[in-house]
Amino acid sequence: MGQAAEPLTHPANGREKLIERDEALRDAAQAWERRNQEAFRTETKEKFVTDEGVEIKRVYTPLDLMEKGFDYQGDLGFPGGYPYTRAITPTLYRSNLWRISQYSGYATPEECNDLWKAQVQSGLNTIYIAYDLPTQLGYDPDYPEAEGEVGRVGASLVSLRDWEIAFDGIDIEGVLVSQVINAPAAIGIALQLAYARKRGVPWTKLKGIAQNDILKEYIARGNYIFPPEPAIRLLVDSLSFCAENVPNYIPITVSAYHFSEQGADRVHEIAFALADAVTYLEAAKERGVDLDLILPQLMWLVSHEHCDFFSEIAKLRAMRKLWARITKERFQVKKPESMQCRLYSAQSGLSLTREQYINNIARTGISALAAALAGVQTIDLRTYDEHWGIPSKEAELTNVRIQQVVGYETGVTQTVDPLGGSYYVESLTLELEQRIAEELRRVDEMGGMLHAIEVGYPQNKNFDDACRFQRELEAGEMVKVGFNRFREKEDSRPVRVYRADPKVEGQRKKAVQEMRRSRDNARVERALANLKDLAVKPPSETGNLMPHLIEAVEAYTTIGEICTVLRGVWGEFKEPAVV
Amino acid sequence: MPGRQLEAGHPRPIRVLIAKAGLDGHDRGAVVVARALRDAGMEVIYTGRHQRPEDIIRAAMEEDADVVGVSSLSDSHRTVCPKMAAMLKENRMDDVLFIAGGFIPEEDFEFLKAAGVAEIFPPGTQLSDIVTYIRTHVRRW
Repeated sequence: MGQAAEPLTHPANGREKLIERDEALRDAAQAWERRNQEAFRTETKEKFVTDEGVEIKRVYTPLDLMEKGFDYQGDLGFPGGYPYTRAITPTLYRSNLWRISQYSGYATPEECNDLWKAQVQSGLNTIYIAYDLPTQLGYDPDYPEAEGEVGRVGASLVSLRDWEIAFDGIDIEGVLVSQVINAPAAIGIALQLAYARKRGVPWTKLKGIAQNDILKEYIARGNYIFPPEPAIRLLVDSLSFCAENVPNYIPITVSAYHFSEQGADRVHEIAFALADAVTYLEAAKERGVDLDLILPQLMWLVSHEHCDFFSEIAKLRAMRKLWARITKERFQVKKPESMQCRLYSAQSGLSLTREQYINNIARTGISALAAALAGVQTIDLRTYDEHWGIPSKEAELTNVRIQQVVGYETGVTQTVDPLGGSYYVESLTLELEQRIAEELRRVDEMGGMLHAIEVGYPQNKNFDDACRFQRELEAGEMVKVGFNRFREKEDSRPVRVYRADPKVEGQRKKAVQEMRRSRDNARVERALANLKDLAVKPPSETGNLMPHLIEAVEAYTTIGEICTVLRGVWGEFKEPAVV
Repeated sequence: MPGRQLEAGHPRPIRVLIAKAGLDGHDRGAVVVARALRDAGMEVIYTGRHQRPEDIIRAAMEEDADVVGVSSLSDSHRTVCPKMAAMLKENRMDDVLFIAGGFIPEEDFEFLKAAGVAEIFPPGTQLSDIVTYIRTHVRRW
């Protein structure tokens, strides 16, 4: 926060004149309050409070900013300049619209290929792969652990052969391929690099994204495999490998989004994600990695929704400022790109309803507007049929159109940070910044995020928030149109949602087994033996594991085979009790 | 014994095992339900994530659970629930009240009930409905 109320001064004004003006404003505000007591009594609630307990005032004026010590230069600066509150680039959407993304993936590589080709045709420039659970947990489709789960919630893609089918005929140089994969992310990245090499796309030109954020898996999402130490070793390896070899690739997306889905209010959502990133940076520093080398390739996954619209925008503005401060002051980085918070913002599915599902299109459009006003780099929306199952292709395409409407019809893209300077939005931004910083300090005082996770701190905080949400929803304090207000007797339901054919599991088993028969198995055995040897040694002796993973996947070794070897050496994470 | 209420001075509270079966790691629903049941005076054990059906049934046995509630959000219920119901039967735990919740499409309800799931609580269920259901249907306790 800024140091003084000075910047409200006009240079020509003397200090006395300024104080006089502020006094006059204060008097006017008080007079307004006195005059309107009767009107205030007609208000529908005694207090208007946001999710994280911020009380919203009736009206905001320059007085609110003065009280908080708002300082334009210190708190906002200019777009593209420190502390990046307004935007990370000087021109934002005046130069390029945000990236339009849509999380999707059907069971088989063949179905993915059909879906993704249609999406690219519709103008989508990012393919955002949703994997099935076995793939995310390092099990091939024919492993016993995968039974009943193959292709159910996303794509089953476990080998280079699967990539060859899924991306056949898709321009992987023009389209950005993003993978939601975490515990086996290093292997996912290896697959993407191996596939690019096979297609003749030089790594120096390859764009792509991996989620690769393991701490939030322990806390919220649950797709963890290895304990923290080897998991973070793989993470640091992938970050430094990409920094040196794949300069346009984003090998990590630190995720706040999943905390929000777990229940977190805005403060917990952002604070825990920042604390996760701090943990990664400390681990990288310890391995001797230059943070200015890896930080420009770090991205964030945050949530946006239509509820508490202005708080959502303030949240992301506050986050940009906090990250700039943390990187510059705490980690002493030098490059501007190291301090910039690149935001991939995904709508929260939680804000949608199953009832009167078509209303979700309105929620989705408004949420996209919030993300645009917050100046994010990528927007990703949930579909209107999300609460009914895996989205239909029609619903996926509607979301691309919703983004195009917001992006090309509304004109909110014409100026950078249109809400900057709003007494209300700036007050909220300062308030959230302060609360997030306090929470971050609490985690630090506990000894950092790894320890906090061990004792279940972030898990419990997010679940506390989830329980409060449920209570407010059931009490009707939180309105959900069609669910707890304005219900209809007969609810319509979507014509169709996608549902994986149970037969897919058998097909996928067969496909992987056939692939295993056709490859050079001696080469696979050598690659796996090599990985096993390396995994038992500390990183100081082995160097980066990425080249070895790439070698393995190029031999058509599967994600399951590699994870089985690494599980054997490193073991598995055991989660603390949270109830 | 059916129909007996918690308030009727029973020697111990109803014991509920809440479980996440399969690979899905989203346990917000499971935890919120577990906490609501605990707040309603029941004893609740939560298995944590990534449990196999056999792990869950063993835990139910060891914990002497009166109720087993399984949460599924990844469409694995069609595999997991029938397996668990069969295991309860094999272990002579038919009197355990077996319920399921989460992202379970209505068209699967009949199949799950035929397989031995007593009741299904889809998205939109009020927590108090689950509490009431358990109190009125628990058989063992």
